[in-house]
Amino acid sequence: MTDFIEKRMPPVLKVEDLAVAYKVRGGEVEAVLNVTFDIQRGESHGIVGESGCGKSTVAWAILKFLGDNGYIKCGSIKFQGQELVGKSDEELRRLRSDQISMVYQDPMQALNPSMRIGDQMKEVLTVHRGLSSSAAEKRCMEMLERVAMPDPANVMLRYPHQISGGQQQRVVIGMALLNNPALLIMDEPTTALDVTVEAAVLDLIADLRRDFDTAIMYITHNLGVIARVASRIGVMYAGQMVERATVEDIFKSPQHPYTQGLIRCVPKLGTDKTGSILYPIRGRVPPPDNRPAGCIFSPRCDYVRPLCREQRPALRVIPGTNNETRCHFSEEIDASQWQPSEEIELPTLSGRKVEEQPILQLDNLKKYYPVKGNSLRDVLGLGEKRYVKAVESASFVVPQGKTLGIVGESGCGKSTLVKTIIGLEDATSGTAKFLGFDITGNISGRDKKLIQELQMVFQNPDSTMNPSFTVGQQIGRPMRLFKTAPKHRIRAEVIKLLQAMRLGENYYDRLPRQLSGGEKQRVGIARALASRPDLVLCDEPVSALDVSVQAAILNLLLDVQQEFGTTLIFIAHDLSVVRFFSDYVAVMYLGQIMEIGPADAIYRPPYHPYTEALLSAVPIPDPAAKQKRIRLEGSVPSAIAPPTGCRFHTRCPRRSLLPDPEICQTEPSWQMASDTHRIFCHHTLETLSSFEQVITTT
Amino acid sequence: MLVNDCMMRHPIMISPTTPAAEAQKIMAENQIRHLPVVGSGKRLEGLITSQRLALMPADLGSLNVWEITRALGHLTVKDVMVKTADVHCITADRTIEFAASLMTRNKIGCLIVVEEDNVVIGLLTEADLLHAFQEMLGLPAKGVRVTVRMPEDERFIHLAAVMVENRWGVMGIGSFPSPRNPGYWDVVIKIPHVSVDEVREALSVLTNMTIADIRVSASPGE
Repeated sequence: MTDFIEKRMPPVLKVEDLAVAYKVRGGEVEAVLNVTFDIQRGESHGIVGESGCGKSTVAWAILKFLGDNGYIKCGSIKFQGQELVGKSDEELRRLRSDQISMVYQDPMQALNPSMRIGDQMKEVLTVHRGLSSSAAEKRCMEMLERVAMPDPANVMLRYPHQISGGQQQRVVIGMALLNNPALLIMDEPTTALDVTVEAAVLDLIADLRRDFDTAIMYITHNLGVIARVASRIGVMYAGQMVERATVEDIFKSPQHPYTQGLIRCVPKLGTDKTGSILYPIRGRVPPPDNRPAGCIFSPRCDYVRPLCREQRPALRVIPGTNNETRCHFSEEIDASQWQPSEEIELPTLSGRKVEEQPILQLDNLKKYYPVKGNSLRDVLGLGEKRYVKAVESASFVVPQGKTLGIVGESGCGKSTLVKTIIGLEDATSGTAKFLGFDITGNISGRDKKLIQELQMVFQNPDSTMNPSFTVGQQIGRPMRLFKTAPKHRIRAEVIKLLQAMRLGENYYDRLPRQLSGGEKQRVGIARALASRPDLVLCDEPVSALDVSVQAAILNLLLDVQQEFGTTLIFIAHDLSVVRFFSDYVAVMYLGQIMEIGPADAIYRPPYHPYTEALLSAVPIPDPAAKQKRIRLEGSVPSAIAPPTGCRFHTRCPRRSLLPDPEICQTEPSWQMASDTHRIFCHHTLETLSSFEQVITTT
Repeated sequence: MLVNDCMMRHPIMISPTTPAAEAQKIMAENQIRHLPVVGSGKRLEGLITSQRLALMPADLGSLNVWEITRALGHLTVKDVMVKTADVHCITADRTIEFAASLMTRNKIGCLIVVEEDNVVIGLLTEADLLHAFQEMLGLPAKGVRVTVRMPEDERFIHLAAVMVENRWGVMGIGSFPSPRNPGYWDVVIKIPHVSVDEVREALSVLTNMTIADIRVSASPGE
């Protein structure tokens, strides 16, 4: 029943003053403290916070999945009016099977790789509900249809690795709902998914919540996702819930300084590099065993006063608002008057004039991977040769000192393109000229000077840093190799570079395991810059980082570009990050560049239908923003046998607008919206320009 | 409107081994009068009502206060619940009129909504039916509430024609045999964005119908 007439119902979940601790050698660590919230029937309550804030620990405490050394220190968890703390394992097991379900970030954690999908789903019903196999199969098929799975009968027979990530997550959500739970806990269920797939899964969650009236506890670090999916939000910091309000109130008038800081450091889609700087939150999250005595956020707060350092504030409703905030002085804080403190490192965006000479020129660059067949004909070399067409006819020019952002979903070829440029892959055909020199050949044949000028920053610094070498050794290595500094000056140069990365001299002798995620990435950037390259390729350098750290790294990269005049190619899947950071943007789909042009031009019509779909899918951290809803059907085709002609035509929502849709099976031509903006599409520029703006902010 | 549209999904439920005292506490804290008792797989095993938890003095017999306390301490839900055979259930695809008739015939205040294998999926109470009744008659919407009385052989289409001609939106409508007026039917309509005088004038063309009641209705309190 709708809320047309309000019905008073008890909450499905009520958590009061929850504290969770882990026993460690020498004592215990309080991971979560003073957490209070409740979730009503049919409500989606978001828990948002950065890594290590304790949001997943709260979920595990509800389910009693804390592990042998974790325990609930104090507080109450009431589910459907019944206290869970102190319940026996058997009672909790029954509750978990009948009334509470959980969906994890990685669907492969929940799916058994050695069992067919159908068998795993049926097991939920045959074991917990005692249904017969045939009755269970019928229910599972209905559920797969309900979660919009294409060809449910076929999917029931497949193994998890035979379906895509988005489909796996649909299966897991379906499994979680089979028993019609009263509470569904979702821990970052869309973080590992591409943005268009994520959008479809978020839509599904909203539909299912409405139909099943299930209470949802949605855990994420992504403010854009939470704005789309939740009606109320709890913001967590260092184990505490620091603010709680409706989604509209949190974004329109956040009361806690931490919430205000978080919102300031998220890139907004409607802004550009010069229009909106990202303001990272200064300082670091305190470790759980070394929290300040007073307000936990006080060391990083711009409004701190003596009382904040002495006394922990309670969660209270701020007069004149509906927000519950854990702050002594919220009423006196006016977020609109905030000014960045001197400690925050902000980029200088004006100033350095760059020569817009091309530094990198690609012309019909292709990268194909041969596919080995299994048949006898293939073994004898008589079979048809097949290829994974990872990059198809990439052509563009990157001016010196500018940033080209490459955006696209998993499997679009952006990483392959970058690896081909840097020489980790040989090009199949086409040309790539860097500083006028051909770089398509094998890297072993490349001049050392060229290698020096072309460097890379990787997505996950953990896997690219040698755990046995210190920071100083790793940054100094390129300097020694390329002789950019005399041997006796290398240490000084490394320290200078560390300082440019806002890291102190004391980092020189640290090992990678002694660094945080953001610090490791700064070292990765320093290592890339050590040889003073002209061009740095950044492969998703911030996607693994928390939002406030991400802001600091992006500002740092901008500063580096300004100071050293370095050209950057920046790969990301987050359209708002690319928008903020890049001068030019290329949108890739299934190995093909679909659109390329200045960043300002890409985000408004005329745009390619795929760009339009990407923009409609990206979660926006502003619940008041209006976003057109365009969802792509099906999944990305295989790169071994991509669609003929336009690779996007099998999923294009604008295909029917063409007078003859069959034309899409022929290669499109480039539509020139300007000298620097082109779109690879059969639609005319007039048609492309007539598309409405996807996002309108109030 | 079906039971599925009105019922409370995911009602608070307890297991049969729960102490009766705890059941009473849950009901008091959550202000509920009916508590389905379920086993594994949410299969219905019984129902606890506030009446079932009230002890009759006659039941206490000659027990002294310590014996009473001991007896009460060992009571579980299973000992005091209404067993499944005596619990009235309904499926979600039934109409709410049918649900209401089931409640009135059996003089009960709630129905357990089940699906196959007696798995509990919801609870329908008198309060839910009263909410549905309010919404069907358009209670929360501001507008003119008019009761038109017509002979039972009169055709509703004449009234409908007046509504169409005047382009009235209808927030709620209901009809029933006129109480204390055998041979007549009352039709209650809630119309927004009109005045009482406009409605009177429009209905004056219906010579065979009278206005039994007309008022402006703006909120549940009026």
